[in-house]
Amino acid sequence: MTNSHVPSPAAALGAIRVILIKVLGDYVLDDVEINAEMSLTADLGLESIDLITVGAMLAERYGRRLNLAAFLAEMDIDDVIALTVGTLVEFVVDGLAPGLAAER
Amino acid sequence: MAVAIVNDVLTHYEHMPARPSTGRTAPKVVCVHGLGYDSLASFYLTLAAPLAEAGVDVLTYDLRGHGRSQRPATGYRLGDFVDDLRSLLDMMVGTEPVHLVGNSFGGTIAFSLAVRYPERVRSIVSIESEPATEVWSAKMGRTFRNTVDAMSDEANLAWITETFGSHYARLTRAAAAVIRSTTIVEEVADGPLLDEQALSSIRCPVLAILGGEGFQCDDLGAVEAMLPDCRTEVIDGQNHSVLVERHQLVRKLLLGWLAEHDPVGLLADGARP
Repeated sequence: MTNSHVPSPAAALGAIRVILIKVLGDYVLDDVEINAEMSLTADLGLESIDLITVGAMLAERYGRRLNLAAFLAEMDIDDVIALTVGTLVEFVVDGLAPGLAAER
Repeated sequence: MAVAIVNDVLTHYEHMPARPSTGRTAPKVVCVHGLGYDSLASFYLTLAAPLAEAGVDVLTYDLRGHGRSQRPATGYRLGDFVDDLRSLLDMMVGTEPVHLVGNSFGGTIAFSLAVRYPERVRSIVSIESEPATEVWSAKMGRTFRNTVDAMSDEANLAWITETFGSHYARLTRAAAAVIRSTTIVEEVADGPLLDEQALSSIRCPVLAILGGEGFQCDDLGAVEAMLPDCRTEVIDGQNHSVLVERHQLVRKLLLGWLAEHDPVGLLADGARP
């Protein structure tokens, strides 16, 4: 499904939680609710290669206008490693805001 | 996740087509990552999107035993990796020559492919990499022995976690898993190796990007002299992690290289170094 309307931060967080749980699969932490402050690598154990799947699932959910690879390519490696769930939420909300990114 | 069976190994690949299309034939770049810690993520999360936006068609893949590709117990000679790349090119690109961008061991694979199948390679951009000479083989052997020793000590993993963080400790564990569960250490440095005559047969242009404090700088002079058309860019003070730590500079060098050697399909703005 592709839906490119601008979600609220809370809705984006909900969608990202679903994606992360799918990507983490059996490795998802029991009884821990994924929140915006969590680091994708240190707290959730995501590997850099998992970010490719996260990017593909975000594009599937919200449309190809969201290009996570292009977003991360502008960051230093330390910032990618320190990426939080909240940064992903901002990426989704800002990336879908009218006039801020051209439809690709 | 896109996968293909390449020489009986389930191989994860990612293709990022040029976008928007210029309507002309896009330069084709195939990115080959290094051993151990590395995976296609090193390229996909750094160079792939900016290159695609500049009008380049980008293909990258996980080497056998790495990333999300299958990990057979044996079959890790350099020649096996070269066969895999050749087969992947057959499946994904056809016979059109491509620009090979190789990081570390990925560049070594690219040089060997260019010797065996020169008609398939338009140029090589090697990042902290060198061809499979006797010097390379000895260096690989030493590196692997040291790595195996270091990884057998849990205290080292604790030190890595404390010093570099859990991300690097996880990468180290992944690399250790490849080393412990396969014959890669015994096989990879066997080659086949390239002699001076083979190196001089590499006629395509080569851009070698090196870290001034990396693994290859000391030995490159001799190799450079044997490669007929080689240009070198040394990044002062940079260690072996050129691709991930200096990817924006690598991107500029690579786009400038493509603008020079394959400008037709590039977007003008994206091609400007």
